[in-house]
Amino acid sequence: MASVLARRARGSAAAALWSAARGFASVGSDIVSAAPGVSLQKARSWDEGVATKFSTTPLKDIFHGKKVVIFGLPGAYTGVCSQSHVPSYKNNIDKLKAKGIDSVICVAVNDPYVLNGWAEKLQAKDAIEFYGDFDGSFHKSLDLEIDLSAALLGRRSHRWSAFVDNGKIKALNVEKAPSEFKVSGAEVILDQI
Amino acid sequence: MAPISVGDSLPDGQLGWFDENDQLQQVSIHSLAAGKKVILFGVPGAFTPTCSNQHVPGFITQAEQLKAKGVDEILLISVNDPFVMKAWAKTYPENKHVKFLADGVGTYTKALGLELDLTEKGLGVRSRRFALLADNLKVTVANIEEGGQFTISGAEEILKAL
Repeated sequence: MASVLARRARGSAAAALWSAARGFASVGSDIVSAAPGVSLQKARSWDEGVATKFSTTPLKDIFHGKKVVIFGLPGAYTGVCSQSHVPSYKNNIDKLKAKGIDSVICVAVNDPYVLNGWAEKLQAKDAIEFYGDFDGSFHKSLDLEIDLSAALLGRRSHRWSAFVDNGKIKALNVEKAPSEFKVSGAEVILDQI
Repeated sequence: MAPISVGDSLPDGQLGWFDENDQLQQVSIHSLAAGKKVILFGVPGAFTPTCSNQHVPGFITQAEQLKAKGVDEILLISVNDPFVMKAWAKTYPENKHVKFLADGVGTYTKALGLELDLTEKGLGVRSRRFALLADNLKVTVANIEEGGQFTISGAEEILKAL
């Protein structure tokens, strides 16, 4: 009995150490510490960029003290992203807020101006906050990047979603292929909150 | 790589493009430009103001005059992916002749020696604002802006040179 417990304790300690060293996203890890020094860029028009001196948003400002649902996708203006992924969250925003979620965030490896144009086209800016991971560093730190050069997109993000409570990842769903949309939608995460 | 200039030969490169049938293609510059008179103009970024409100519209509205003066192709390139270029092109429903080509990771822009680091503006490495006229791959006009200004790289200047 004691040996089983000891083995399990060793196992989870090792796992915790491994994920801390890797710094990638997994349930139980802290999203801000997994990506030290990384910040995101709020989607905005160029004029807003000039007015805010192109400021970036550190992760802790997004996640600390908040219940956040965040989802990432390969690219603005692409098929599944536009037709299914974003609408899923836009249409479920009331249910998410009713469960105590403070913000719903969409992140993609795009510049903030492209993202802004896209968010406005999808009329989703009221419900969802869009952030650009313009150089891919956020997704690289979380080990969620994927090379989509074959689709002429370059290094992008997987399709994924997560529920993050005060910076701690409570649920993480990553599609097996970016073209799929099975586990990363709003309905799935609503059950996980 | 020194910036391309008058007298140089246009390098070849592959750019991404959604064709008339909405199919994603890779197209080579040489296949579009060999034996022809082409305008190649570049912008720092899709969906940014000067690019969207001044530079691109200039070429769209002057396209007929440019074609009347013997220009076969008007090619727009930007360091954006083809999905973004397609969406941006859709915001110009009146456009008949300008082809919106995607230099996704900036390879062709670097081959032209025209890259511009706009990382601090949240854009990464992009293209300078420019307009080139090439006759059978030989560059006859090279109007390259400093920074993001819009002074010499418009359609008017190319029209004057034709």
